[in-house]
Amino acid sequence: MYSESHISSLVVHCRPEAAESAATDISTMSGMHVHGGIEAGKLIVTLECETESEIVAHLDAIQRLNGVLATTLVFHHVEPNRLDNRTAGEMQPWKSHAARS
Amino acid sequence: MEVSRRQVLRAHAAAVAAAAANVVLPASAQTTLGADDLQLKWDKAPCRFCGTGCGVMVAVKEGRVVATHGDMRAEVNRGLNCVKGYFLSKIMYGADRLTQPLMRMRGGRFAKDGNLLPVTWDQAFDTMAEHWKRVLREKGPEAIGMFGSGQWTIWEGYAASKLMRAGFRTNNLDPNARHCMASAATTFIRAFGMDEPMGCYDDFEHADAFVLWGSNMAEMHPILWTRVTDRRLSARHVRIHTLSTYEHRTTDFSDQAIIFKPGSDLAILNYIANHIVQSGAVKRDFVARHVNFRMANTDIGYGLRPDNPIEMRAQHAQDAGASSPADFDAYARQLADYTLDRAHELSGVPKSQLEGLARLYADPGTKVMSLWTMGFNQHVRGVWANQMVYNIHLLTGKIAEPGNSPFSLTGQPSACGTAREVGTFAHRLPADLVVTNPQHRKTAEGIWKLPEGLLPGEIGYHAVQQDRMLKDGKLNAYWIMCNNNLQTAPNTAHETYPGYRNPENLIVCSDAYPTVTAMAADIVLPAAMWVEKEGSYGNAERRTHFWHQLVEAPGEARSDLWQLMEFSKRFTTDEVWPADVLTRAPEYRGKTLFEVLFANGSANRFPSSDIEQGYDNFEAKQFGFYVQKGLFEEYASFGRGHGHDLAPFDAYHEARGLRWPVVDGKETRWRYREGHDPFVEVGTSVQFYGNADKRANIIGAPYEPPAEVPDDEFDLWLVTGRVLEHWHSGSMTLRVPELYSAFPGALLFMHPEDARQRGLRRGQEARIVSRRGEIRSRVEIRGRNRVPRGLVFVPFFDASQLINKVTLDATDPISKQTDYKKCAVKVLVASATSRGTP
Repeated sequence: MYSESHISSLVVHCRPEAAESAATDISTMSGMHVHGGIEAGKLIVTLECETESEIVAHLDAIQRLNGVLATTLVFHHVEPNRLDNRTAGEMQPWKSHAARS
Repeated sequence: MEVSRRQVLRAHAAAVAAAAANVVLPASAQTTLGADDLQLKWDKAPCRFCGTGCGVMVAVKEGRVVATHGDMRAEVNRGLNCVKGYFLSKIMYGADRLTQPLMRMRGGRFAKDGNLLPVTWDQAFDTMAEHWKRVLREKGPEAIGMFGSGQWTIWEGYAASKLMRAGFRTNNLDPNARHCMASAATTFIRAFGMDEPMGCYDDFEHADAFVLWGSNMAEMHPILWTRVTDRRLSARHVRIHTLSTYEHRTTDFSDQAIIFKPGSDLAILNYIANHIVQSGAVKRDFVARHVNFRMANTDIGYGLRPDNPIEMRAQHAQDAGASSPADFDAYARQLADYTLDRAHELSGVPKSQLEGLARLYADPGTKVMSLWTMGFNQHVRGVWANQMVYNIHLLTGKIAEPGNSPFSLTGQPSACGTAREVGTFAHRLPADLVVTNPQHRKTAEGIWKLPEGLLPGEIGYHAVQQDRMLKDGKLNAYWIMCNNNLQTAPNTAHETYPGYRNPENLIVCSDAYPTVTAMAADIVLPAAMWVEKEGSYGNAERRTHFWHQLVEAPGEARSDLWQLMEFSKRFTTDEVWPADVLTRAPEYRGKTLFEVLFANGSANRFPSSDIEQGYDNFEAKQFGFYVQKGLFEEYASFGRGHGHDLAPFDAYHEARGLRWPVVDGKETRWRYREGHDPFVEVGTSVQFYGNADKRANIIGAPYEPPAEVPDDEFDLWLVTGRVLEHWHSGSMTLRVPELYSAFPGALLFMHPEDARQRGLRRGQEARIVSRRGEIRSRVEIRGRNRVPRGLVFVPFFDASQLINKVTLDATDPISKQTDYKKCAVKVLVASATSRGTP
């Protein structure tokens, strides 16, 4: 099984009046921390999870919060959790493809 | 991951984000451990994905990219990155990455109907060279072609142009940028005599109003959208007007969301120009000094095959691009038809919205930035639509100064740098030169140190024409590099795939991954990508940006540059050039194309020792000289001294990109404007010096309807496009299996009433049928794309649901760019009994 650690940070631009409640909502989501930026309307958020789909799901959820204008990524780090991770080129998909003519 | 390492990374991530956002974090949130402990080596590179050109910092650990963050020193994105940044760390490490050449084989030999099996580079190149030579002998250079890319690095596109035009003597070279920005590029030349925008991203912070013509910036150009919303929030008077054929994330945040009927943007644009004329808002002195008037040929057809009845009926299908001199009065007379009533009638937009938009442009005190991408460019009247925006900005003098900016956004990272500036289109040479001009060819032959009269002057096959000629058996040796054409070309089942499987043709595809195009090819060459090679891109604001090779490509994957140069070694001039050229220039006899194109005394004049210490360079190791520097400097000599000036090679490895023209080390932010652009003469204020008389062209054109409109049977508009998570056709982003499941399978976005009428529920499978083909998809009536009645939207990224079986291969007849935004379909319930072709 593919297992990875993703650590990333985001800037969440909010309408100023909505920053406080957006920060509260984000803090309740798993793997997410709000580090500051409420006064400026630019929340500094870190996100830790194991798959890209979690990242995308979280981003989508943030994007849908009231008063959120834009969610932008700043930092992204990924590393495998286990040594048996597949590496580039190990899958040979053409072997399962017959000629199409 | 150990707890302490995780803590350091988390603190580091927060600190970098805080710095990018210019936010001070409380002391409790700051780390006491240094980021140095993470043992990461950081270098700069432009992002691999879109045309915005964001700067990213790339971290390498033990020969592998492990982290990225937005580059705070990059002016474009100032430390931010969009969701596509999540793919950067992993795009090179997909499990299905191609790492060795593959060839269709049976019984140990090449066979077009065989299976793809691993072979050596020599076997692949030998088979290719044999076929290329036979085709050259039997049919000549017109039967050889290449389909390139706006994702090629600058030197890859340049090397391809040399190999095709000078080596094989054919102009059958076109980039996939034909599908995304040919209309924009063509119009720049028609209006200003020079390609690419006059303004730059600095306009975002100076504009009072933003008008988005068909662009969903919030999803497609998120970083630039952040700059728009920042401006909107920091200056209370600023307004955003977004025009679109359906509602999406950008319309959600706009002050005005203007939903119009497909194709009626032409009528709206002419109404605005008419309003400007009628209300006395024309800036008369500007127009008198800086503008010429012309009228476009009308009734120009839709770029379909010439025997199509629609084309045969069109009066000016043969000279669609022609225009004739006119004056202000003639232009004003044409506009007079476009009253508020007529614009409302054609577009369906409420009159109050149309008037508000027109007033914005007409008000001399409001600085307007107009932005557009595929909505205008993928349009059967794309050149006209682009032109009509320039008409409005020129009438009001709102152009080429901070905040007043008609701005064509870009889809691919180097559509500007490689497709347009290098000139990898079928009609172009570097620096806006064209193959049809004998003087331009002579210039190129001089710089390339080639015999006079070598370069062909006939325009080659453009993208859609290449597919048609493959199918018709007129194009027989074909190399596809760095794009996924079988998925992205229009009407693929009838016009693209048959040409790939035509037994007369050898189809070669270079890619990093087994895309549908690669899997339909006869030979598949594994490509190095992004920071596995030294590279260079040119973004939408004329910014040229370099990066170093930071990691090694896996297995036997090689850069496109290496592939082109290595392949050129297999041909001698005697095999490919006409006898009369060699009789006149016997010193070229018996040399390989590698020798005359790449070891020509110019492209090979910089030694490998010039490479910055600490960086690998695979191509330099293989060929024995600093390939990228030599090719770049040779290429740059095309443009220096006349407004296309590029800086010296080494400067780009230092800077976070520079916007050309770069003169005396200084970049240019606003072209054509005195005080900003060194090529504008003192005392003239503005000079559109791309044209001989230094004036820009306003070119009048009418509203003409799309090639196909809904009728009783095919009763819905089909619009195609992208969603953020799957960039373009998904060749790279769909590598990440988890991500694929985040947006699994294409959806059919539909109005709830239209769905109900057809007995369809949300999530149900439906057939989308056009006159050309059909696909199945799942109905979505909610979600973030909300369409009006009578229109459906389908993203085009999913290889299992090729929507381009359904689309029409109509193009803008002037730019030859395909219109993926407008055709007629019907939508039916997919019952078990109707399950035919998927």
